[in-house]
Amino acid sequence: MTASLGAPRSQAIVAAVAFLLGLLVVVQIRSQAGNNTLAGMSSQDLTFLVANLNTRNDQLRREIATLQSQLATLESGGSLGASSVNELRAEIDRIRAWAGLDPVRGRGITITVSGPIAASAVEDLVNELKNAGAEAISIEDIRVVPQTVIGGVAGSLSVDDTALGESFTIRAIGTPETLTGSLARAGGIIAQLAATDPAARIDVEEASRMILPATTRNLAPSHGRPRA
Amino acid sequence: MTTLAGRLRAIPTWQVTLGLALFALGFLIAAQLAAEGPRVRYTTQERSPLVGTALELQQKQVELRAQIVTLGEDIQALQDEGEGTTAIVRQLNDRLEAARIAAGLIPLSGPGLVLSLSDSTQAIPADGSEADYLVTARDIRTVVAELWLASAEAIAVNGERVTTSTGVLDIGHSILVNSAYLAPPYRVSAIGPQDLLDQLGLSQGWREFIQTRAGRFGLEITFAEPEVVAVPQFAGGLNLRESRVVPPESPSP
Repeated sequence: MTASLGAPRSQAIVAAVAFLLGLLVVVQIRSQAGNNTLAGMSSQDLTFLVANLNTRNDQLRREIATLQSQLATLESGGSLGASSVNELRAEIDRIRAWAGLDPVRGRGITITVSGPIAASAVEDLVNELKNAGAEAISIEDIRVVPQTVIGGVAGSLSVDDTALGESFTIRAIGTPETLTGSLARAGGIIAQLAATDPAARIDVEEASRMILPATTRNLAPSHGRPRA
Repeated sequence: MTTLAGRLRAIPTWQVTLGLALFALGFLIAAQLAAEGPRVRYTTQERSPLVGTALELQQKQVELRAQIVTLGEDIQALQDEGEGTTAIVRQLNDRLEAARIAAGLIPLSGPGLVLSLSDSTQAIPADGSEADYLVTARDIRTVVAELWLASAEAIAVNGERVTTSTGVLDIGHSILVNSAYLAPPYRVSAIGPQDLLDQLGLSQGWREFIQTRAGRFGLEITFAEPEVVAVPQFAGGLNLRESRVVPPESPSP
């Protein structure tokens, strides 16, 4: 008995083998790709990652608790009453404060930057504050929102087209000890900037109370539309 | 010899094809098993317990974020139901929706572009630094800043929405965005005006970035302009432990 590739049974066998082959190629590639991420990290990086993930997961749990409380109020039939109105107002306040649409107050730190410093160095400082858990940030009287970009050259920087002087302040609301600790740790951003921008002086002071202004930007999109 | 060659020629083509495919299959199964073995050993014996902890925490983070998205959707659905009740609730729901959109808590779609950044494949010179040939957090921050300057209005990096609290930092050879661990290639999706790419090209900072990072160090930077760019919502916590809203100033007596 002879068989040819044209025979249905042969075609089925080849198809099955080709399918398995394809499947294994994909599995192999994916397993290799996933394997070289965490495995290549130093212990220091892993420690940092674990601490970061822990902090982040705690924030997520708090957010879940807030949302569950809102949901419970709505489900209890309060959507027609005063409790719903209060709940809605509180949620609007919470989101607007977080987004930079409303002024906020609280304790935090004030960073005074004096002398010539690169725009990228100021971006790095702001980025470090965000990573350290700053809840709201302003540079002079400009509230930092996602669209805020620091431009210019050392000595004549600007934020959102507003010129910064030779000396300016960055204020951040958050746990002062955590923020200060993150900036001033050995090998941290202040130590790095001392090497890259030696002419600049950076002083950090804890503040028990500060008020950060709202952004003057319109954050409503005009090209993007909400997706269902 | 002639007989052997003749026999080989007599083998049907499909059998040769099948034979080759089976050989490749066997090779891949062996490779997969070989790859699994050391990984299991590495996980259980040699790998630091930190890796296991990091993997567990990452998995937990994915679950928590999914829970936040679901809760947000449930809340929105209930609030939408209540929309038709009273004028005040309708008004507040509208304000809430506007605040969520402005804050990046609602997914958006619209015109824009998608940039992709990958590590360089160039050989690193003996006196070169490996970091120069990798996509770094600063590269991502530069791209995001240039997109904002070009009038982008919503940006995500590998599905992580850039919001007011978004920090981007290096960790090992990868990057954390919103504390989510991302690996290359990095896809930066931006919604903005139709001429977003043209605006980007006009920027001196963008041109210098391309010249240095792509031209000199060989980072692979590509772009696409799909008809619709989708940017997901921020699926994280609104960290406001120390902040209090400042009540509007009461009118002077």
